[in-house]
Amino acid sequence: MQTFQGYRRSRGLPGVRNAVAVIPSVFCANTVARRIAEHVAGAIAFCHPVGCSQVGLDLELTARGLKGLGAHPNFSGVVVVGLGCERLQARELAESIAAMGKPVEMLVIQEEGDTLRAIEKGILFAGRLAEEAARQSREAFPLSELSLGLKCGGTDATSGLAANPALGWVTDRVVDAGGRAIFTEVTELIGAEQILAGRGKTPQVAGEILATIGAMEKRLSAATASAELQHRSALISPGNEDGGVTTVAEKALGGIYKAGTGTISGVVGYGEYPAGPGLYLLDCVGHDGEAVTGLVASGCQAVVFTTGRGTPTGFLGVPIIKITGNSATFEKMKFNLDFNAGRIVEGATIAEVGTELLAKVLRVASGEPARAELLGHDELFCITRI
Amino acid sequence: MVRALKINGRDNCAVLLADVRKGETVEVRTETGVSSLAARCDIASGHKIALVSLTVDQPIVKYGEEIGRARTAIEAGDWIHLHNVTCRRGHQHQEQRE
Repeated sequence: MQTFQGYRRSRGLPGVRNAVAVIPSVFCANTVARRIAEHVAGAIAFCHPVGCSQVGLDLELTARGLKGLGAHPNFSGVVVVGLGCERLQARELAESIAAMGKPVEMLVIQEEGDTLRAIEKGILFAGRLAEEAARQSREAFPLSELSLGLKCGGTDATSGLAANPALGWVTDRVVDAGGRAIFTEVTELIGAEQILAGRGKTPQVAGEILATIGAMEKRLSAATASAELQHRSALISPGNEDGGVTTVAEKALGGIYKAGTGTISGVVGYGEYPAGPGLYLLDCVGHDGEAVTGLVASGCQAVVFTTGRGTPTGFLGVPIIKITGNSATFEKMKFNLDFNAGRIVEGATIAEVGTELLAKVLRVASGEPARAELLGHDELFCITRI
Repeated sequence: MVRALKINGRDNCAVLLADVRKGETVEVRTETGVSSLAARCDIASGHKIALVSLTVDQPIVKYGEEIGRARTAIEAGDWIHLHNVTCRRGHQHQEQRE
């Protein structure tokens, strides 16, 4: 049986990393959060530009995203830092994360007095949580305890030929073993909705898939309608086009290979964890940061990220495993990429390359650092806005 | 000879696996065998070459599905890309603009 070495949690899936998250409830607490994390080995600050002066669904998505992040299995504990007068109150965030079974400490700058007092208290909190985390050791878990995020960025023609099919092979193995896999980037599923709906577990799921992609297409149609903004209306990037991808539908059809061939169990909302095992569609846009943050906020312990053009980005505390189907890109961006699936273009079978990719994923889940981790890349934490 | 891949039996284009020069012969791998045709222009690796001639508004098929429609007449051996493909998905008022 294939296994990985993870950290047991009191509730939910095991972690593949064991960090302490320091999460500001509002951007006004960013510097305090960052300085707390700088003083404690194993602590990570998640600074962001939101948490106040927002209303409705926009504020709700921020709250769900930060709650999902705090509940993530790769964090042994969380320190929530608030200012005091913000709309997303530190108490709401801390209580929600604690309710999901996670050790949480909270401090509020206006209650502590000033920056110095807040930092001092935060260091003590984070230090204690880090000390507890360090006492834990890894143990073996089966594939059914894995929740894998699926993402692509910097797509070229090899993404649909090699990298995404290899990842799809891994997705099928994880889901068949009773694990979870989540794909998203709904902005880039346009043109593939009928195929995906046909894979829905029930007619209701099929309907949800069509509704999710249909709503996103409407949003894009409205955004690209302005006559003055036609120079901003491209749905795929110049890099996609240079790489041989012509339309959003072509990108979608190549992109869905990474979701394998199995049944889709449901659609999950932003910041929502899947109810059980299976393959899920997360309702989130295709922006690399927003999508990866969404996958993390839905509990994916690791994300496999396919890229034809090559991208260095990462997410602290969550391994982002970069794979390319383009052997030239792999040579050129060697230290940013973890795996070359380009042999498929040259004639290797998807199963051969997929088998090696699954082994790599399990090694990284067991502690081997992904390249983005080695280099400290942190660009992908980005709360979605509407 | 440059290789290209026809991904699905229904496709009317193939993906080049290396750069090709105008007039060069392209060997196209399909699910059932190999065929060949001449490139009508320089085409970069990863880009699409038309396997049959297409009239305006005919679907461009890749991965067995429609990825867009011919904006102009396309000859077998032509490069298929932004200059001769339209895709209305995700866009409004495309007709009015053109």
